[in-house]
Amino acid sequence: MENKFIVNIIHRPELSPEYAEKALGKGEGVRDESLDIFRFQQDTAHKYGLKTTIQITYASLFSDIIIDLAKREHEQYGDEIGLSLLGLPCPEFKAKYKTEDFCIWMFEEETKREIIDDVFGKFYEKFGFYPESTSSYFLDAYTINYIKEKYPSVKCAVATCWEEGPKAYHTCNNSWYTFMDGGPWNPWIPSKVNSHCPASSEEDDSGIVAIPHLSRDLMACFDGNGSNFGTHPQNVLRGMIYYGDEGEWEYPYLYNLIDQYRHLAKYNDGYSYNMMFVGPGWLNRRGRWEAPYELLAKSYDDGMKYYGKLKSEGKLIDMTMSEFADFYRECHKDYSRGECALWKDILYGSRKEYFWYADPAMRTCLDFNQGGAMIDLRPYIARIPQQTGIGTENVYDASYPYLIQINYRAGYFTHYAGAGTIKSCKVSCRGESADLCLCRTMAVYEKTDGGVRLTADPVTVTLGGLDIVIKSVFTILEGTGEVITERIIVNDLGGEQVTFEEYFTGGFGTTEYQADMTHISLGVDNERMQYSYFGRRIVREGAERAYVNIPEVHTRIEMGGDCDELQVEEGIAFSPVYHLALRKTVSEGGIKTWLRLRKAN
Amino acid sequence: MAQATKGKLNFRCPSCFMRDIDIDMFFDGEKKEYYCLRCGFTGSEADVLRLNEAARYRYRAMRLRVVDFGEDNQPVKFEAHRGGEQ
Repeated sequence: MENKFIVNIIHRPELSPEYAEKALGKGEGVRDESLDIFRFQQDTAHKYGLKTTIQITYASLFSDIIIDLAKREHEQYGDEIGLSLLGLPCPEFKAKYKTEDFCIWMFEEETKREIIDDVFGKFYEKFGFYPESTSSYFLDAYTINYIKEKYPSVKCAVATCWEEGPKAYHTCNNSWYTFMDGGPWNPWIPSKVNSHCPASSEEDDSGIVAIPHLSRDLMACFDGNGSNFGTHPQNVLRGMIYYGDEGEWEYPYLYNLIDQYRHLAKYNDGYSYNMMFVGPGWLNRRGRWEAPYELLAKSYDDGMKYYGKLKSEGKLIDMTMSEFADFYRECHKDYSRGECALWKDILYGSRKEYFWYADPAMRTCLDFNQGGAMIDLRPYIARIPQQTGIGTENVYDASYPYLIQINYRAGYFTHYAGAGTIKSCKVSCRGESADLCLCRTMAVYEKTDGGVRLTADPVTVTLGGLDIVIKSVFTILEGTGEVITERIIVNDLGGEQVTFEEYFTGGFGTTEYQADMTHISLGVDNERMQYSYFGRRIVREGAERAYVNIPEVHTRIEMGGDCDELQVEEGIAFSPVYHLALRKTVSEGGIKTWLRLRKAN
Repeated sequence: MAQATKGKLNFRCPSCFMRDIDIDMFFDGEKKEYYCLRCGFTGSEADVLRLNEAARYRYRAMRLRVVDFGEDNQPVKFEAHRGGEQ
C-alpha cells in the first residue's frame, strides 16, 4: 500500500497534578495552572491543523469548564473525547478510596472494578455516552478484559510504556515503580491472557487496539533511561539532547526520531505510527529541572509544528485514537504478522543497527553491531498469565519476563568468570576461536513468505592466520516462535576445518537479578537433569534437540539443526544461567540451526 | 545554618546524570553551592551548567539532521542542522 504515517496526539487535563500540589499547595492556583496547560496543548495542536484525543481524567469529571471545553473542541475540531485512568488522584478520589495509590494496574481486583465503574459511570453522566478510548501507563489483561466486557464501546487504549522498567526505576533514584518492560513498541492487539503479547487469533483478541505511551528510540531506550528518548519533546529536554544556537534552542534529534518512525513503513507494509502524549507536569510554569518554562513550551510547539508541516506536505495522517483503532484493524487482518523495526543510531553517531521484531509468539532484538547476536528475547508464546496489583504475586512488577536481556544480564561476557545472556556463534580453527559478537556489521531486511529474513553483511574472522569470511542469515517464521540461523562460509578455506558453535545462554526474569533456578530442567533428547548450580553438562552426538524447561515463565526452549553435537549445561552459583550449544565442523558450507520457543506447563 | 532549599531552577546533579540518575540537588545558601544528596558532587550554578554541557559529549549526532536513512546496510546520512528549520 501507499506509505501511511499515522499520528495520535493525546492530551489529558489533570486538575490536581501531584507535582503542582507539592509546589503550590492545594487550591485554585493549581486548578488554574493545570487548566492553562491543557488549553495550551489543545490550542497548539489546533494551530497546526491537528486533531487530538482528549483523555478526560477523574478530576476533570468534576469540572464543568473542562467538560464544556471538551464538548466544544469535539464539535469544532473533531477531537475525540476519551476517558483516562491516569490522573486519578484528586481530593474526591482520595476521599472516596482512601488511598495514595494512583496506578490502575496496582489496585486489588475489586478496587480496579470499582474505580473503572466509577469513572466510566461519571463519564456517562457528564457526556451522555461511553468513551471509545481509554489510557494508562499500563493496562493489564484483567483490566482490559473487564473494560471491554462492561464498556464494549472502548476499542483503543494506551496500554504500555516501552521498556519502562528497571531502567526508569534506577534513573529515578530507585523510586519509580513503573515496571512494564517487555511489550511491543508500536500498536498491537493485546492477548486476553497477557496484555504485553499480541493476540494470536480472534479467540485471543481482547477487542481493543493498544498503543504505547510515547514512541521511543528503540536503541537509546534499550540502554538508557526511556524517558530521555521519545517523541515527548520534554523527554528530549530531560535527556539534555538540545543546544543553544544564536539565542534559540535547537533539538533536531526530536525530528530525526519522528522521521525514523516514518521510515519504519519500509518494514511494515507501508504502515508507520507515532504518538505524542505529554502530561501537564511537563509544561508547568516553574520549569522542569534545568529547563525553564519557555523551553518546555517551545519544544511542545515545535513538536506540533513538525507534525503539522508533515501533514501539510501529505506525509502524515492525524487520527483520533478510535479512528486509529479502526484503521489498524483494517490493515492488520493477519494476527501472525510481525511488527518490524530495523533501527539505526541517530544520537551517538555510531553505525549501530538493531532489528526489533514482535509477533504473537515472541519479541526479540538482533544487534548487528554484535554480528546479529540476539540481545533480547521474550517468550510471548508462553502467554504467561500474570496478574498485577495488590493481592497478586506482582504488586507493582508488570514486566513481561525475558529469556535474554543483555543489559540486565551481561550479554557478551567481558569479565574473567561467569557468562551473560545472549545468543550468538563461536568459530574455532587452528586452535583459536572467536565469537561473532565481536564482528560489527549491518544487515538487509527481506519479507519472505510467512516470515522475515535478515541477511548480515559478511564478516571476516581471522584464526591462526586464516581468514574465514562468514555470512549470517536469520529467518523468523511469523507466529511460530521459531528462528532459523545460518552461518555460511563464503570463501575458499583450502580444506581447512572450522568448527561452529551456535549457542544460547539464557536466564529468566524481569530485573537484573536471577531468581531461583532449581525448577529448571535441561536435556538432550531423552537424557535430562535438574538444575542444581553444579556446572554439569549433557553432550550427545547425533541427537535431535537440546532443551531447557523453565516452569516459572511457562516456557520450553529447544534448539536443533544440521549439527554434529548438541549440549546443555547448567550454570554455577556465581553465574546463574543455562546454556544450549550446537556444534558442527566443516571445511565448506556452514551450519543451519533452529531455535524454538514453546509453551510449557 | 538554615536548611537547604531548591535553587531557582531545579538542577539535577550532573555527576549522577552522567550515570543515568536524575536526582535533584539542593542549595546551601551559606556556602553558595549546590550539592547532591547521593554522591559527593558540589558546585556553583556555573559549574552545573558547564558539566551539563559536558554530559552531552556522547550525543555526537545531536546537532545533525537526518537527510536519508539510506539502504538497510548503510549508515544514516546526516547534515548539519540549520537553526530555526525542521
